[in-house]
Amino acid sequence: MTPVIPDRQAWWVLLPLAVALGGLVLLATAVGSVSVPLGDAVTVILARLGVPATFLASLPDPKWDAIIFLVRLPRVLGATVIGAALAVAGTVMQGLLRNPLADPGLIGVSSGAGFGAVLSIALGFAATSSWSLPVFASVGSLVATGIIFLLAIRAGKMGLFTLILAGMAVGTFFGASTSLVLTFASHDSIAQFLFWSMGNLYNVRWESLQLVALPIGGGIFLLLWFARDLNVLLLGEEEAQAVGVDVFRTRLVLLVLVSAVTASAVCISGPISFVGLVVPHILRLLLGPNHRLLVPAAALGGAAFLVVCDLVARLALGAQEINVGIVTALVGAPYFVFLLLRSVKRGIDL
Amino acid sequence: MVRGLRCSLGGTEVLRGLDLEVNPGEIVGLLGPNGAGKSTLLRCVAGLLPFSGQIEVRGQPVSSSERRGLGPRELALQVALMPQSTTLTSAFPAADVVMMGRYPHQGRFQAESAEDRRAVKNAMAFTATEALALQPINQMSGGERQRVLFAKVLAQDTPLLLLDEPSSGLDLAHQQLTFSYAQTLASQGRTIVAAVQDLRLASTFCTRVILLSQGLILAQGTPQEVLTGQNLEAAYGVKVRVYVNLATGQFDFHLDGAEPSETAPLVHVIGGGGSASSVLRLLTQAGYRVTTGVLSPGDSDLYVANVFELPSIVSPPFWPIEEAVHRQNCAWVREADLVVLCNLVVGAQNLRNLEAATHANELVVLEDQPMSERDFTGGAALDAYSKLTARARVMRSAEFPRWLKTLFYPMKH
Repeated sequence: MTPVIPDRQAWWVLLPLAVALGGLVLLATAVGSVSVPLGDAVTVILARLGVPATFLASLPDPKWDAIIFLVRLPRVLGATVIGAALAVAGTVMQGLLRNPLADPGLIGVSSGAGFGAVLSIALGFAATSSWSLPVFASVGSLVATGIIFLLAIRAGKMGLFTLILAGMAVGTFFGASTSLVLTFASHDSIAQFLFWSMGNLYNVRWESLQLVALPIGGGIFLLLWFARDLNVLLLGEEEAQAVGVDVFRTRLVLLVLVSAVTASAVCISGPISFVGLVVPHILRLLLGPNHRLLVPAAALGGAAFLVVCDLVARLALGAQEINVGIVTALVGAPYFVFLLLRSVKRGIDL
Repeated sequence: MVRGLRCSLGGTEVLRGLDLEVNPGEIVGLLGPNGAGKSTLLRCVAGLLPFSGQIEVRGQPVSSSERRGLGPRELALQVALMPQSTTLTSAFPAADVVMMGRYPHQGRFQAESAEDRRAVKNAMAFTATEALALQPINQMSGGERQRVLFAKVLAQDTPLLLLDEPSSGLDLAHQQLTFSYAQTLASQGRTIVAAVQDLRLASTFCTRVILLSQGLILAQGTPQEVLTGQNLEAAYGVKVRVYVNLATGQFDFHLDGAEPSETAPLVHVIGGGGSASSVLRLLTQAGYRVTTGVLSPGDSDLYVANVFELPSIVSPPFWPIEEAVHRQNCAWVREADLVVLCNLVVGAQNLRNLEAATHANELVVLEDQPMSERDFTGGAALDAYSKLTARARVMRSAEFPRWLKTLFYPMKH
């Protein structure tokens, strides 16, 4: 049994989640403006996976093959990967900061990525190379995060409060810089940036998946190994140190991993809000605070959530697709308010 | 072992050079007022604070600001700390919290071992928390929570345990329980260092105490050696009376104000057989200068007088008061601004106490039972008593405290 998962019971949570995710991926691949029969969709995928034709019920239809394999599958898998990344990052941030409302945005990932994106668009790089925007966005987010870390680390210590305040300051600064660039940008550039900043999965291709699969997959994998440390950190800084957690180093490693994972997600999809907030929250309510279960569940749950939201974004208004970031926000914001009201009613100050 | 330990927090030097050594099997109590540095010392040993100087645990150095020693995980295998307060708000079940104590024993890529599970089970059995295993820790009472956290510290399975005020916020029974755990562990050869506020608990359970004051060691040794009125006054800045509680046989402590001033009114108390104890205490606390007599050894009144270090005239029991003793008593009565005659039982041996009272400038007689019931002299006492009461203020003992408050003195409290 893998040591990451606390006990056998956990499989009863993770296995159904994984099966549901698989089903949703399949469904989302088949359903769209042009509906592909589910059986054909499966056939196409199986054929592409290299299953010999003799084992398939029918031969893959070439007209479906293009839709499924070149358009929908990368997009749905993109939703899967990005949803997992954002939810895991949110889970870790909330555990790390011991605050149920924390998300990776606190360490400047989105604002930095935004600034990188706007530079790439305004300077015209985005128009010449499809790689430019993701690269600029991820560099921007890593620069912003790096500045925040440098501000928060003093004498071998990292105050979480300092981190949050530094994050706010740097985030605001990069936000203002983005606005400044937009002031001088053309209408086209502004429209392009606005579109990016709403968060979308239109442009996810196999190439962009290749770009981020390793950092996201590797990041999530490494974060899983820190689940026990995250649990102990919930005891409080001194308690954790007293049982042998190197608090400073652990926090730093976790924050670096979270920013790498989030930056990778943001660079291909733009900022998609509330996934990192709502998914960990629901899971914590259902499963309790144990990160050894919570982190893998967040990966599966976040992926499923974003696949569904993206499906809604594609289908809700018929021919007119909407950005998936709009859907997640429309779902997430009311849930956020619900949490807020509930805690106010219980007399808890978040 | 701690040598030349100094530690600053937020710019102020909290520990200003400590040297101490703790041996296996000891229960060492750290005493001292708030801010003396008890918690800081414990946190330094647990590697939570940067310090200068040397701390060694079983011969291995703890990392200081000057040199590198044991890493966090290695140190956590030697030292477990139970902090004063835990900000645990997560709904972890008790068993999970106790398992967190096993952190230093687990590799990153390892599952919980059978040994981990056994340690958790034993620790929870020791603190009788097995029934709480699945209950979320944030929904427990203070006592349950403290026992679970104690189990966590135990599960860490270290030779040295540091407890930072383990009994604070706990009820009577749980305070006692925590220390009896400590006692059992020490008898198994573990070493315990605990910051303690309660001097009674410290004197009962600690094999050795260290009295800290303003970041320095004021005194260390057995509780008897360290817990003297003088030491405690130096540490806490208030007058502390240390005495053996006759009922429990344990040290007990009483706080009263500072020494009475030279100009305080002088009160002489005539009592015996326990009749004067509360009067003596009351007057001392109110800031009067108090004398007493004639009392016999073995009398609880004399015991109280000694605790408060009051001048007292003593005469052998069951023996009539001798002339010299009587004359001294009369002299003190005359000298006093006020004389209080308590509700004492009179026999042949202490009859002269009543005679002495006639010399009083101002006399208060406390009467709870009529003298006729307390006269064992065949009438002599009753005669003398009625002469006294004719010119005295007579009241019940219960009325005395209120009457005392109506007097002009005291002003000092």
